[in-house]
Amino acid sequence: MKAYIAKKLLALPLILIGVSLIVFVAIRALPGDPARLMAGPEATQEAVDAMTGRLGLDRSLPEQYASFAHGAIRGDLGISIKSKLPVVDEIAERLPFTIGLAITAYILAIGIGVPAGMIAAIHRHGWPDQAVMILASAGASVANFWLALMAMNTFSVKLGWLPLLGASSWKSFILPSITLAVLPMAVIARMTRSSMIEVMSQDYIRTAYAKGVAPRSIYWSHALRNALIPIITIVGLNFGSLIGGAVVTESVFNWPGIGRLLVDAVRYRDYPVIQGVTLVAVTGVVMMNFLAEMLIALLNPKIRLD
Amino acid sequence: MNIFHRNPSKARRLALAAAVAGSLMMPAAVMAATLNVMQSEAPRSMDPGDQTATFTAALLDPMYEGLIKRDPDLSLKPALATEWSSDPSGLVWTFKLREGVKFHDGTPFNADAVVKNFNRHLDTKRGLAASGRLRTFLESVIAVDPMTVEFKLKTQYPAFLALLSTGPCLMVSPAAEAAGTIGSQAVGTGPYKLAEYKSGEYVLQVKNTDWWGGAPKGEDEIKWTWTAEPSVMNMALQSGEVDVVNPFPSAFAAQAGANPEMKLSKTDGSAVFWVSLNTKMKPLDDVRVRQALNYATDREGIVKAFTQGFATPANSPLAPVTPGYDKSLAPYSNDVEKAKTLLAEAGYPDGFEMSTIVQEQEARIGELLQAMWAKVGVKLDVRRMESGVWSKAAFQDPAGKEADGTASAIASWSSGVNGADLQFRPLYYSASASPTGANLGFFSDEKLDGLIDKAASTLDETARNAIYVEAQKLVNEEAPHVLLFTKQDLYAASANVSGAWVIPGGLIVVKDATKE
Repeated sequence: MKAYIAKKLLALPLILIGVSLIVFVAIRALPGDPARLMAGPEATQEAVDAMTGRLGLDRSLPEQYASFAHGAIRGDLGISIKSKLPVVDEIAERLPFTIGLAITAYILAIGIGVPAGMIAAIHRHGWPDQAVMILASAGASVANFWLALMAMNTFSVKLGWLPLLGASSWKSFILPSITLAVLPMAVIARMTRSSMIEVMSQDYIRTAYAKGVAPRSIYWSHALRNALIPIITIVGLNFGSLIGGAVVTESVFNWPGIGRLLVDAVRYRDYPVIQGVTLVAVTGVVMMNFLAEMLIALLNPKIRLD
Repeated sequence: MNIFHRNPSKARRLALAAAVAGSLMMPAAVMAATLNVMQSEAPRSMDPGDQTATFTAALLDPMYEGLIKRDPDLSLKPALATEWSSDPSGLVWTFKLREGVKFHDGTPFNADAVVKNFNRHLDTKRGLAASGRLRTFLESVIAVDPMTVEFKLKTQYPAFLALLSTGPCLMVSPAAEAAGTIGSQAVGTGPYKLAEYKSGEYVLQVKNTDWWGGAPKGEDEIKWTWTAEPSVMNMALQSGEVDVVNPFPSAFAAQAGANPEMKLSKTDGSAVFWVSLNTKMKPLDDVRVRQALNYATDREGIVKAFTQGFATPANSPLAPVTPGYDKSLAPYSNDVEKAKTLLAEAGYPDGFEMSTIVQEQEARIGELLQAMWAKVGVKLDVRRMESGVWSKAAFQDPAGKEADGTASAIASWSSGVNGADLQFRPLYYSASASPTGANLGFFSDEKLDGLIDKAASTLDETARNAIYVEAQKLVNEEAPHVLLFTKQDLYAASANVSGAWVIPGGLIVVKDATKE
């Protein structure tokens, strides 16, 4: 087990170096020059050149990467081209908002998705199953951008129950976290259903029934524990798409998280911010996958022993 | 031992709960005195000299002042300078500065501060975003005495005084500039000062009680937020979360205008929209073809479809608010037959194929033109691009555009009340051909260059404007652009807000705005 964890942890820096290189090259391959965007359309070539020099973009690419990597190791991700604030401060200020939103969304998604999937599995082909599956299909296919606007118009503008924008109180969490939770909730409900159905047909479940264990106990302790492995895998792997969803949700709700920061940064080709946010997001995704693997190993001794 | 630990932690928890409760109740308590303004984009800097964006300038306006200011009637008035004069050549200008003015950080405002402010733009190594325009004509700025400065210009520059009221010429604290913090911590002399800049959320400004002009007239605080989403802007105003939305999306303008709880303001804007034609590329090198495209364009139709009617069809390269604009010009009606005749004369009776590059938010214009020009046999290939990509393609040199097959580009330009030179020179002067300037179609006409230069060195305004009328006629005749329309400035506010106004081009001034 220790060797297993050590192996996974050792891979992390390699993944980060690889990803940071890809991001570094990819954003520079994007057409669009931050110096020209900063200097504005009226800028003369001389002004654009001066700006390029100031931003350090006149140096060679390896030189730029070396200085970025050197800084990043010491926790310095450079200065935002747009806001002129240190990227680390920008991210530190907003990360709690994104994490808060992600955790709330995951609690909702798991708290509703798992029981809904179980109910569907237990009442397979019955009306609860069909209801859950219709809702899950709708949830998996609706654009969360559209959903967000509809929810805002209903609950903030028309009814006036919830704040429309920003993160000023606990009430602000409600609409964005529900919007963000819909997709993973749908995926988790479907995964739980199919996983439960598979487990319920296994011999040991039949044995449990035969020896007179109460059905509720069979569902929750016998079946769910084994059904959880694929669910956790999905939850862990879906963390990346949750971050992707946060980009849209945060932009619509003016949520002060790293998703909105990233959107603004791409618009202005704010290289240091794009690099910093991606690095942090990738670290988050890798850590979540790692956590999911650890949980699975705990639940399933077979994986641990390998 | 447990007892010792438990009590403080309980107390701390209580204190935290109280603090949270307090912070949740605070906004409600101060709400009445805060003017909430929402714009379409985030501020690009807290330094007015390091940005060229209208909505950033609007956000910074309550905090900064220049030697000269623009009044609601659009005239130029003394601000940090009390009087000024020039020598007969128009190349040397002397300004008397206002006494007793202090920056928000306590630094005194004087000739030394003015000199430092302009020298940072003249320093090529500083690389500020807004320096470019100043450097083209400004030679030097020196202190004559502690309260007098002298500007030396390289060439006569008719927009000089107007420019002194804009971004690069607004006075920042020399102490903050030296400390390198001005980009994130605004320090000016204006009636409001920066209280908080949360780059992901808002900018909060509070009244500067030491302002030289007396007690500021506006609300106690101004809070700025932003979103790129038009429907969110509309909802924010409807729900009362914001008091002012600028610019207000035209798609929702009719709805807001009909709502008694809102006020929709529309005023003449300064952004002229056009299609720049690549005059170095066949068949657009032929003036008859360029004129034909102008005749084939239904400007009224574009105004209706693209701006919901909130624009003025263009009859000149200048916006109606620009000094020198000639209202009487009527160069191109929508005349399909005339367009066909011109194309036939040029040797294209069956039309031809060409491309245009357009940014996402203006893509609809491209589609409309595609349908209009198809009627005269011109097949328009509309290439939609993300703005950064577009900018790269639009500013290519002739060889680059030939290689890309870029025959035209849809864009807009806004110089507004600052003078015709700022519209003519970057867009039509031969030395401004891209990538150097925004003459994206490489238009080159000696006679027009001559008129632009002559106007720039003519100090008398009436004589200068007469030259600009000649220049407008020439541009219309030579048709380097298909001129489309001038957008109106729209903003919307709650019905209880008064005192806000807009400098043509969309710069909203809210420092005197109040809520009842």
